[in-house]
Amino acid sequence: MIQVQDVVRNYHAGETVVRALKGVSLEIADGEFISIAGPSGSGKTTLLNLIGCIDALDGGEITIDGTRVSQMDKRAKTEFRRHNLGFIFQTYNLIPVLTAYENVSFVLSILSLPEKEIEERTMRILREVGLEGMEHRRPDRLSGGQQQRIAIARALVKNPKIVLADEPTANLDSKTGEEILKLMKQMNEKYHTTFIFSTHDTMVMEYARRLVSLHDGQIESDERR
Amino acid sequence: MKFIISLALKNLSRYRRRTLITAFAIAIGLMMFIVVDSVLIGVEAESMRNLRWYETSSARIMHEEYWEERLLKPLDISVEQPYEIISSLEQIGIPAAPRTTFAADMILYSDDFGEDGNMSVQVTAVDPDLDNTVFRFEETLIEGRFAEAGANELVIGSWFAEDIGAELGYWVTFVTRGRGGFYEAMDMQIVGIVNCPNPNVNRTLLMIPIDVADEYLGMEGTVTEINMAIPERSDISKEVARIAEMLDDSSQRVKVARWDELAQDYVALAETKRGGTSMILFMVFLIAAVGISNTMLMAIYERIRELGMMRALGMSDRAIQLSFMIEAGGIGLIGSITGVLLGVLGNIYMVNVGVDLGFLMRDLDMGYRIQSVMRGAWSPATLVVAFLFGTLLSMLVAYIPTRRALKMDIPSCLRHQ
Amino acid sequence: MKFLMLLAVKNLSRYRRRTLITATVIGVGLMLFLMIDSLLVGIDRESVRNLKQYETASLKVMHTEYWEDRILMPLDVSVPQPYDRVTELHDAGYRATPRTRFSADLILYSEDFGEDGNIPVQVTAIDTALDSTVFDLEQTLMTGRYPEMGSNEMVIGSWMAEDINAEVGYWVTLVTRGNGGFFEAMDMKIVGIVNCPNPNVNRSLLLVPIDTISDYLAMEGLATEIAIALPDSADISHEKELIGTLMAASGAPLTVLSWDEMASDYIAMIEAETGSSSVILFLVFLIAAVGISNTMIMAINERVRELGMMRALGMSDRQIHLLFILESAGIGLLGSLVGTAAGILANLYLVHYGIDFGFLMREMDLGYRIQSIFRGTWHVRGILTTFTMGILLSVIVSWFPTRRATKQDIPSCLRHQ
Repeated sequence: MIQVQDVVRNYHAGETVVRALKGVSLEIADGEFISIAGPSGSGKTTLLNLIGCIDALDGGEITIDGTRVSQMDKRAKTEFRRHNLGFIFQTYNLIPVLTAYENVSFVLSILSLPEKEIEERTMRILREVGLEGMEHRRPDRLSGGQQQRIAIARALVKNPKIVLADEPTANLDSKTGEEILKLMKQMNEKYHTTFIFSTHDTMVMEYARRLVSLHDGQIESDERR
Repeated sequence: MKFIISLALKNLSRYRRRTLITAFAIAIGLMMFIVVDSVLIGVEAESMRNLRWYETSSARIMHEEYWEERLLKPLDISVEQPYEIISSLEQIGIPAAPRTTFAADMILYSDDFGEDGNMSVQVTAVDPDLDNTVFRFEETLIEGRFAEAGANELVIGSWFAEDIGAELGYWVTFVTRGRGGFYEAMDMQIVGIVNCPNPNVNRTLLMIPIDVADEYLGMEGTVTEINMAIPERSDISKEVARIAEMLDDSSQRVKVARWDELAQDYVALAETKRGGTSMILFMVFLIAAVGISNTMLMAIYERIRELGMMRALGMSDRAIQLSFMIEAGGIGLIGSITGVLLGVLGNIYMVNVGVDLGFLMRDLDMGYRIQSVMRGAWSPATLVVAFLFGTLLSMLVAYIPTRRALKMDIPSCLRHQ
Repeated sequence: MKFLMLLAVKNLSRYRRRTLITATVIGVGLMLFLMIDSLLVGIDRESVRNLKQYETASLKVMHTEYWEDRILMPLDVSVPQPYDRVTELHDAGYRATPRTRFSADLILYSEDFGEDGNIPVQVTAIDTALDSTVFDLEQTLMTGRYPEMGSNEMVIGSWMAEDINAEVGYWVTLVTRGNGGFFEAMDMKIVGIVNCPNPNVNRSLLLVPIDTISDYLAMEGLATEIAIALPDSADISHEKELIGTLMAASGAPLTVLSWDEMASDYIAMIEAETGSSSVILFLVFLIAAVGISNTMIMAINERVRELGMMRALGMSDRQIHLLFILESAGIGLLGSLVGTAAGILANLYLVHYGIDFGFLMREMDLGYRIQSIFRGTWHVRGILTTFTMGILLSVIVSWFPTRRATKQDIPSCLRHQ
């Protein structure tokens, strides 16, 4: 369970201060498939980054499963992310010199798991995302949709509590985008991993079961379907 | 053109850190080159001075056959009527002084030296009046005085005195074979000690009056050499030609040798050491080549889209090429200026303070005629070379990466990530 | 860790050209270092060998006061009952031989030499049988033969022979002052000429039988030194102590000197020269600094988003820093391989052909005991240093520039264009 309490985040651009989040509060239960929507500049990416422990807040608190992650120092946050969080980005962000297999397995390597277990879990997740047979291909020889599948596999292979996805379909055509969304929905149902999206793609919003709208750094609405 | 230069300079400030790292490395390399070169020039200049002021003089007149036999120091192959030659030389404006050098056994006595002993030495007989117009021993006297004409007196180099434990007032005996081949013994008293900056001389000098030598050795007014002083700024070859011409008229078979012919060993050594600076320069070249080409590659890579845009808008390849080369030249310029500045600072120290290698020079013959402190010298030519090398080389090195970037077609450039 | 190494290797192939250029340039620098190191070690080894085999032997036993006065070559502070000492040394298992050194006048006659002349020389009187157990001179005989004990025969060095135009069969006279102070003239016939690889020896060597000399000088059993040869593996200071004790037992005032004490001029010089290879290494460091830091900065800039992702997924800053250090080490390793391989090839030339400095060595005493060809050698430590330096310098040089990889906050990295 994620508890976001009165979170404030400011940016300093030269002399001006941009108030990206002006006191946001939210609770997300385990296994939710939730999308955070809003126009650009609304603060949705910022909120995602804060929950994802890759940014530091200026006010308020974030607690994940009882751990006050917002108070942790950089090293503790890194460790927390390593064990508990998965990320999927708009631009895939795969390592171009590594194969599909290696891009996924590296996440387990930094957890220092035994070789055999790494191999098992990697091959399994690659199968599940439909990339069987492509393990040895490098990203530059795969389509956008296939690359995003690798990213999904990478995010899920360590069985994280939460997966944060920032505009995951923005670089894909609508058909592929839909396939990806379906896949993520499947994973969410199978593994009960919490999926948090930041998006302004209406298709994503339709797949989500809860829609939080942000406007100007504050929550405007919070719908469940 | 102005626009291109301004663009290039603005781009330099874009990646300040890289520019500075590369420029700094070039600067260090150039500084080392400047300092080493300066020391070599300084050491060579001082050696030449010490050779000409205390050892070889600027040029020397000897009997034609004397040079080949110089090991034996033959007294019968000598120059006749030296004083006539000397006055002819004075008339054409060249100071000259006669000398006779001969080998002898020097005998030391226990009353003065604590124990008896003898050693082979080389003795130099000089004209007390004329010698100082060619050589500069006058300024080097540290104890006592110079020997007077006609007196059995001796001046010794200070390192020699130290080595054998000699002091003013001590007596020694020179035993040698005179011109006729018969043995002679000369008792001489040490009346002066000189501290000669030329270590080779300071280690071995024994000076006696030439008229005393003439008498004991039966030289009959002849001498083994006539030494001449030619100002440093004069063209030696020209002067030597003048002298040779003048000598042609005389009936003797004499020849003139320049100081560098007399000190061939030293000259060969100095040239070899010079080779070392070339190696440093080569390595500086490597540093510059690597640094600049990497920096340029980086710059071009980061700006491919921008380049595509400029080309789309009509800027010619040549203009773009030029802009990058000026950028690279800018890095080289910064490196060169810094390098020259650092080199100048280092040089100020080397010229005024220098490095004291006295401990090495005292017992070792390093070839250079320097007693203790190795000093640098100011060589504007080296500074200019260093400056140009750093700047021009950088511009050249940027040429190839730029060409490659321009080969890519414009749409690809624009699409580039 | 294994993963980091895999990633590092794959990343190096990403920018192959840059990696190869940087590695090659570092390699060239390393190659130069290896060559200079090889030459310095090679000429040191050969000089020391030539010192021990022809000049100083490993150790010498002398009268306690002889060494200070060695410039005078005194005959009155000699080793008492030298053959007794030699026997004691032989019994203790050492190779030893007595020698007498004295200064003399060498007189040449026109019948043989074309003209009369005389030069001061230093003569070495040896036991012709024992001497070859300690020195290797006999093996360097070019023409003729060694003198026989008790005879008036002499062997000279080939450069000395050249300088005075001597040939086998010529007669000379040695004139010297004996122990009582009176002059003795000894007519000697040249029966052999050696071509000694030690230039200092070859330039001045005159060998005569020791018993002939003692007879002429009326000094029964005279020897100014006893030379001792030790095997290469011997611990010189240890043996020096043992021999010192052994000689002290005889009651005579004797000292033992090791070769390096006797050749302190050479030692001083070689230490000064060794500094030059460090200069080269420093320049290589500069090359690496520029090349690698630029390459790394480029790499970091190109992979900003990827790095942000890795950090988001939980890779620690330390691991990312380590990744880049590994990539630098990889470039350094390539440079080491190139440099060591090229250096070894170049060394093959240096070891088998060397560099001919004969033109310098013939006329000058530069301290090196090498006649003409300066050769390199297989100096394992130098080769290992070359190899490890490439990697080590690269790692050191990349430490700070690569720390910047994790400076920017993760969200900015992810947003990067």
